[in-house]
Amino acid sequence: MAARIMRNPDVLWREEDDARDEAQAALEQGDDVSEVGTSLLFANGQMVVLNLLGTEIWKRCDKKSVAELTAELLAEFDVEEAILREDVSGFLAELAEKGFIAYE
Amino acid sequence: MSEEVKVGGGAPAWIIKAPLTINWALNNSCNFKCKHCYSRVDGNDELDLESLCAAMAKVADMGVLAVNFGGGEPLLRSDLKEVAACAAQSGLQVSMNSNGYLIDRETAVALKTAGFAKIGISIDSHVSERHDSFRGVPGSHERACAALGHLADAGIRTSISTVICKINHMDVDDLISFARVHGAQQINFHNFKCSGLGMANRDELDLSPQEWRVFYRKALAAKENGAGIDISFDDPIIASLGLKGGAGSIVKGSVCGKLSLNIKSNGDITPCGFIPIVIGNIVRDDLAVIWRESQVLDRLRHKEPTGKCASCSSYDECLGGCSARALAVTGDFNNPDPHCWEE
Repeated sequence: MAARIMRNPDVLWREEDDARDEAQAALEQGDDVSEVGTSLLFANGQMVVLNLLGTEIWKRCDKKSVAELTAELLAEFDVEEAILREDVSGFLAELAEKGFIAYE
Repeated sequence: MSEEVKVGGGAPAWIIKAPLTINWALNNSCNFKCKHCYSRVDGNDELDLESLCAAMAKVADMGVLAVNFGGGEPLLRSDLKEVAACAAQSGLQVSMNSNGYLIDRETAVALKTAGFAKIGISIDSHVSERHDSFRGVPGSHERACAALGHLADAGIRTSISTVICKINHMDVDDLISFARVHGAQQINFHNFKCSGLGMANRDELDLSPQEWRVFYRKALAAKENGAGIDISFDDPIIASLGLKGGAGSIVKGSVCGKLSLNIKSNGDITPCGFIPIVIGNIVRDDLAVIWRESQVLDRLRHKEPTGKCASCSSYDECLGGCSARALAVTGDFNNPDPHCWEE
């Protein structure tokens, strides 16, 4: 059975409403919001700021395999599969390195 | 997809809407006589249960995610479980720091039922006699170890909190092994603060800057090499060491007033438990206004380098180190952290 992503329960995370609303409005205007932080994760003295897509991945990743997560995102977002797979892989690798997720 | 953000100093990506976490002293009474205690000098005023529950709801509504109870020894409050239940029902993640002395099997189960997700037990040495002497109570090490087992059995995640000082700074590997053997998920190496008795006993307990550097190099190396347990630090000066997994991934500067706040047993709000500057009261004041408009918090978020910090190439990484320690020793939190080893 494929390994499942497990979010570290000690990670504190929160969407920042104002930043998220501004990013969504900019996205609807056709702006590039990939560098706009809309949520943050914090644990063990480390913090990461996530953009809109990163936030969506974080929200959905718990207890799923990477394949399940990617399929879910592909069904909901208009994005090229190869690019999404690469982005998700890099994103999860960074979270795992910081101890924000583990695989079981 | 993600970017590291610099907290404080320079321009953060954005000011977060509320603290992520609040360290909350419920009481100052204690059954121990620790040589470094910072709260014994505080008074004994305590908020009652009703006021505390209202305050918990207030901070949760603002967006705070977690509260960590401390004191004093929180278990000396007879209504601790009710307080925790209020916090948990408000949607807050609830944890506390305890000396573990009063946690037996039955208490551990009750704490789990009350809503505690995680409890840190203070243990300052793998050698029981050394811990007992430091904490001032014979048998306290044995009780603390037993508490870790009871909590784990009850389904509460545990960590060990160790205040690094003269009695243990050479024991990094032993402390990590000890924590692993006792089933803790994490060991927190707390830097020594010069507050309360910590200031009075500083000459006996505190390390020299070079000793701090040696300690952190060893502890960070253990973390990098995969010690089989989470190792956590809360000292901003390690950002200047430049080790892999250290600089660049640790939050820069003190988190006090940027990601967290402290509430004292009487409801007074301070940037952290070791900065005795009251910026409001949780019962009387609007926390959101304090968070946005406090001039003290603004100064902590935008520190100005002074002295050797002004020309130090590491300043952008550490932002002057621990603000509380600089304030306690020099009277100005913009001054260099007295633990700093940089020339």
